[in-house]
Formats: sequence, C-alpha cells, structure tokens
Amino acid sequence: MRETILECPREADLVEAIAFGRWPDRCGDLTTHVATCEICADLADVALALHDDRAALCHEAQPPSSGMVWWRATIRARAEATRTATQPISVLQGIAGACAAGAAAGLVTIAWHSMHWMERIGELAVRLESRRADIASASTFATGHGLPILVAVAAGLVLAPLALYITLADD
Amino acid sequence: MRDAALSTLDQLDAAAAEAEGTFQMDEDAFRLFYERTSRPVWAYLARMSGSARLADDLLQETYYRFLRANVPYESDAHRRNYLFRIATNIVRDLRRRPRVDESGPGNGHLSEERADPRTADTADGAIRRVDLARSMARLKPRERDLLWLAYAQGSSHKEIADTLGLKTASVKLLLFRARRRLARFLREGVR
Repeated sequence: MRETILECPREADLVEAIAFGRWPDRCGDLTTHVATCEICADLADVALALHDDRAALCHEAQPPSSGMVWWRATIRARAEATRTATQPISVLQGIAGACAAGAAAGLVTIAWHSMHWMERIGELAVRLESRRADIASASTFATGHGLPILVAVAAGLVLAPLALYITLADD
Repeated sequence: MRDAALSTLDQLDAAAAEAEGTFQMDEDAFRLFYERTSRPVWAYLARMSGSARLADDLLQETYYRFLRANVPYESDAHRRNYLFRIATNIVRDLRRRPRVDESGPGNGHLSEERADPRTADTADGAIRRVDLARSMARLKPRERDLLWLAYAQGSSHKEIADTLGLKTASVKLLLFRARRRLARFLREGVR
C-alpha cells in the first residue's frame, strides 16, 4: 500500500514567502520547486488566496471603536449582574405570593364552613322558636361567635389581595 | 434637563467603574489589545459567517465574552489565541442556529456586500475573492476554520489545535486534506 506524503520540507519557506509578500517574484528556486511539487502547488494556491483575502478584509473592516465596544460590554455586564442579583428576590416574591394566595384560599374555606355553621344556627333558631324563652340565649350565642368569624373572613378577603400587591410590587 | 443629562452620565460612569471591577483587563489595556486584534478577528468572523453585517455583531459578542472570561495574562499570543477560540465557538453556535434567511456561512454574500472598487485592486482580484468565497462555502466548517487559521492567520499547529479543540497530531492530516480540497475547488472555479 502506498503511503500518502502529507508534507514537503519546503512548505515553511513557501508560507513565509507568501506571508511576507515575496511570492512569486522574489523566490528564486522555490518557484521552480513549486512547479514540480504537488503539495507545494496546492499550498501556494490556497495560502496565497487566503492571505490576499485576509488582507482585503482587514482593509475593508470598519470595526467599532474600542471605546464603544468597552462601553457596550460594561452596560451589558451591569445588566447581567443586576439580573443575577435580583433573581433570588424574584423567587422570594413568588414564594410570598403563593403563601398569600394559600392564606386567601384558606380564609375562603373557613368562610364557607362558617356559612354552613350559620345555617345550623338558623335551624336551631327555628327549632327554638317554639321555645321563646331560649331565643335570647341562641341569639347571644350567634352574636358571640359568628360575628368574629365574619369579621375575620372579611378582613382576610380585603387584606390578602393587598398583601399580594405589596409583595409583588417592584418599587 | 442638564441635571438629568448629568445624572445619566454619572450613571454611565458608575456602570463603567462597576464593570471595571468585573473585568480583569482595564480600559487602556483593552484599547491596545483591541486595536491590534479587531481587524483580523473581524476578517475571520466575516469570512467564516459569510456576512460583513453579521461580523459586526459577532465582533462585539467575541470581545464581550473575552472580557467576561477574565483570561489571566500569559502572553499576547495566548490572549490572541483565546480570542480566536471564542470567535470560533460563536461562529459554531451561529451555524447550529436555524437560519432565518439564506445568508449562511461562506455563500459569497460577503464579497457582494462590500465590493468596493478602491479595495479590490483589480477586477481579477475581485473575481479571485468571489472564487475563494464560493470554494470555501463548499468546505466543511472545520476545514474553513483550519485553513483560515493556518494560512490567513499564520497560526502554528499547536495554536490551531488549542483554538479548535483538536489534537495537535491530527491537525497536520486534517490541514493537508482541507488544503487539497480547497486547491481543487479553486482550480475548478478558475476553469
């Protein structure tokens, strides 16, 4: 099996001649060598094309000033730092919001149960209607326990959205 | 109004001061480094992405990532190689992204975008560049990177290996194959 020859000892000379603009006019015997060496012929075509292209592109390039690049980088770094710093706060805000929502849901449940309880009190009151003497004691019971519950439910319904707003407000 | 403008300037100064703490390199060192490297990096990005407009954006991204990386100073060559490694990764990311338009890598748009008769010495030179762009477009992305770094940028095999994440020993063979393919495409283009 024939081994493919990957390199030629004169490659480095040729690359240097192209890089320093000596190729092909001021290269003497290197020009003769390239005419007979397949590896160097490929190298000369490719390296010269790329070298010239780079030179033209560098000439055409209109990169922004270093000050502009630096300034944009600082602004972006600051924005990223701010975003990173505020990330835990956002998580806490989310947790607080979820807690407030849970508390509001709990209060609604309590209110719902208390409504059933009030219905039972009403039924009790109907039963006691025949016994007028006991009405006073029943109403005292309802006033003594039902009112604080109603007040608590109302307060919860008002305060929960307020707490949610305060927690999630940015400023 | 003036106070507001001053306040904005103060904020920008504060941002710059804050960022100077973020970046290991100071602004003066960055300016010198940028002036030495920005044109070659732009040329690399332009040829690898195939678009001068895209190269402008990619250049900013390259230097931003470089600054954020806080590369410890070893030598100018080390910093330059690191910068090209970042540029290579950015172009790779770009290739992986779904294309919105047809302005893909090396499709020859670059030569048409900034075809300026003052920069293209002769019509022959301009044609050669279009041929090169078309031939490069027929290569695999890694072959384009290899060839550019070796013959346009003048990097050594070790530097190329570091930049492209290859083994130094394999660079020689890969470079040989890529060079042979490009030379063939260039000759086909000339015919």
